[in-house]
Amino acid sequence: MTTAAQPTDVWEHELLLTGCQAVSHAVKLADVDVIAAYPIRPYTEVMDQLSQLIADGELDAEYIIADSEHSQFEIVKHASSVGARAFGGSSGTGWMYGMEALAVTATDRLPPLFLVGNRALDDPGAFGVEHNDAMSVRDLGWLICWASTAQEALEHVFIGYRVAEDKRVRMPMALAMDGGFLTHAQHMVKVPTLEAVKQFLPPYDLGDRVLHPDNPISVAPQVNEDWVMELRRQNWEAARRARGVIKEAYKEFNGVFGSHGSQYDNPYFTEYMTEDADAVLIGIGAVCMPTQTAARRLREKGHKVGYVNLRWFRPFPTEELRACLGRFKGVGVIDRDFSQGSPDNGGILLQDVRSCLYPLRGDGPNVINFMGGLGGRDISIDECIDMYERTLAAGRGNVPEEIVSWIGLRE
Amino acid sequence: MIKRVEVQYRGVFQKTLGKYIGGDIVQIASRMGKVAFSNGRYSDAPERNGIPCKYFAFVSPDLSEAELEAECGSSYNADNVDVSVVVDDAMAQGVEPWGWHGIRPVNEKVGHKACLLVVTRRNHEHLLRFTAKKPQPYRLATLEGDASMAGLWVFKDDLTRERCLGAVAAVDPGIISIEAVEEYLLDTGKDADRARAARDAYEATLRRIKVVNPDQGIDWPHEIPVLPKWHEFEEGGVAIPAVKRGFKLGPRGQNRNDGFKHGTSKTERPVVRFDLCIKCTLCWADCPDECFDPTDDGLYDINYEVCTGCHKCADVCPVKECIVMVPELQFEDEKSPWEQHKKDPAGYIQWAEDKKGSTRIRYRHVTGEGVEKYKATPVPRNMDGPGQKEAL
Ligand code: SF4
Ligand code: SF4
Repeated sequence: MTTAAQPTDVWEHELLLTGCQAVSHAVKLADVDVIAAYPIRPYTEVMDQLSQLIADGELDAEYIIADSEHSQFEIVKHASSVGARAFGGSSGTGWMYGMEALAVTATDRLPPLFLVGNRALDDPGAFGVEHNDAMSVRDLGWLICWASTAQEALEHVFIGYRVAEDKRVRMPMALAMDGGFLTHAQHMVKVPTLEAVKQFLPPYDLGDRVLHPDNPISVAPQVNEDWVMELRRQNWEAARRARGVIKEAYKEFNGVFGSHGSQYDNPYFTEYMTEDADAVLIGIGAVCMPTQTAARRLREKGHKVGYVNLRWFRPFPTEELRACLGRFKGVGVIDRDFSQGSPDNGGILLQDVRSCLYPLRGDGPNVINFMGGLGGRDISIDECIDMYERTLAAGRGNVPEEIVSWIGLRE
Repeated sequence: MIKRVEVQYRGVFQKTLGKYIGGDIVQIASRMGKVAFSNGRYSDAPERNGIPCKYFAFVSPDLSEAELEAECGSSYNADNVDVSVVVDDAMAQGVEPWGWHGIRPVNEKVGHKACLLVVTRRNHEHLLRFTAKKPQPYRLATLEGDASMAGLWVFKDDLTRERCLGAVAAVDPGIISIEAVEEYLLDTGKDADRARAARDAYEATLRRIKVVNPDQGIDWPHEIPVLPKWHEFEEGGVAIPAVKRGFKLGPRGQNRNDGFKHGTSKTERPVVRFDLCIKCTLCWADCPDECFDPTDDGLYDINYEVCTGCHKCADVCPVKECIVMVPELQFEDEKSPWEQHKKDPAGYIQWAEDKKGSTRIRYRHVTGEGVEKYKATPVPRNMDGPGQKEAL
């Protein structure tokens, strides 16, 4: 129940904030040094709020408005390379426009944090949520994580910087949030004290790699075939190590903030009513709202269903998810994204879930795929009930020939 | 149990007001130990002048935050609201927020026995001349006041916000109680006047709630578009046929986009005294929405269906009293004014002056001081004016 928070050592107060505003407050508490901005809805509200915080004297940071997303991301990257904690963000095709900069930020192994307010890749014009924007950097050496409440969004700015900046990781972090549902809804959000944040999030230290007149180095020279394989292997190693660093970070987070804030039992995903379930749905972001209610309603009628809310997409929690999903007979993957022409002509998440379950072969669950909520289309509780029923049927061996189906489509 | 509130507001001018009312309801409900959150209809373009938009607040005394979110948080819209607060009464004529939406009744989402709460200076009967019939009874409440408008993005602090909170408590105390509203305003505003304004609005609203029966209201004249199925339109990212080029002199002589008329964005419409017009072309040239249709006698007719009420024509017209903005709810149709003028010039002048009345309003943009009212200087008929000569 939401009540006026009692000030504690870790939680200072409770404020009415949109998801974007919650992120902005977290950026302030994370003591970010450089912010580069370029507007696109829904991300714009973050830059609005940050400039407001600076104007109000609450935040001391360099705030640079770029001429495009490409420059914006380059500024963030360069700031990060001189040892400044840097913040950027975007949405939809704006994010795609800066793709070159996003690629090199990862290959340069720099750890800024970006907020991706998920938005459909228009044309035609669409503000609503789709996950293809954030997922487009999935193969480039990025950390990608979704918040599913405004509170989680705030907390994951701290978690994100901590993981990204860890010497064993040093990868850029995309914190994604569903456009509209999360970015623009106003909630009561608990805001921690600066002391608690400082205790959890150490200062950013790039060590010997910091670009500085006192430390003359050259970053990213031409290396060709002599170096690239080895570099990729380093990145590969970092993505593996990140899995362990993420676990450590959440453990520490629970220790510092846990008594009154979110408790994260599992950093990678949250299981809801999955115990003894026959079938589960798995999805990302705000779709956890109607799916969980639908699960509760079906449980009341005796159907054993549950929901898995995936938080971390890169690194993909392969082992943990295999152990989790391997317990069920049917798994329905909800994709708020698309991957036309992919093996099943379904969603991106479907491919990763299927390949993660592949080692289980015949012992694993039957997997089907739902394409839903594209461009921000509602996914109703009734549609979720329908998806559960079809996943239960698939679990009983009733797997349709075409495993991909479309939810909420005018057909 | 869930209580749903929608605030229907005008883009830009009332954007902050809508968001404040939604946010206030969340904070007041939270203080009462309830769970609440607020969001806006995301597909709206509240950065466009006057466009009808929506903000929502959802309140529950017994659900957890996650349960409330699940029911209300994963949609960009809300159905069956318990209270719909309308902060500009001109929206009673219908709301068309964007293309493919159609002009919808303002009470469309008001549920059984729920309440449509309108900030207005008109009475219930007057509003019901515009609102659609509903199959089930609902309540209509009025809160005396003007549409709270200000300049670009500026919030006009005229206590409409506080008064709406008091009125919401009056029409549905299950959402927020008046005591909680007062306490919140005293704590956050540190100004007793704000709490008093809410209390006064509460008391007044209690006396102005009426039940609207299914036979009251009008048969809705506007069609709601039906969108095609995925296989019913051509592939290639929605290519819409362009508006066919077409122009002839006279009313509705120019072809326009029937998919989005935009006319429900206005709070006031321009009334033209054709007898005073000197045919300077400025209104026609400057209207941002190209609402003026040139006529064969050199005048400029207005197509009210597409007029957004931006005041531009009234501002540029060099002739005193020739174009005057008049509150929208004084009109029940969008007939061509020029045709009326041609049929009966003297009768038209009488009609126009009746609509205009003797009070003129000036918005003191950005001062936050509200509207300024002043007396109109009467202008004699010009039966020899260029506009009139041809008409006679
Ligand atoms: S008020 Fe005048 S200028 Fe503005 S849209 Fe209407 S007709 Fe055009
Ligand atoms: S109505 Fe006014 S602005 Fe328009 S042509 Fe006549 S005099 Fe000019």
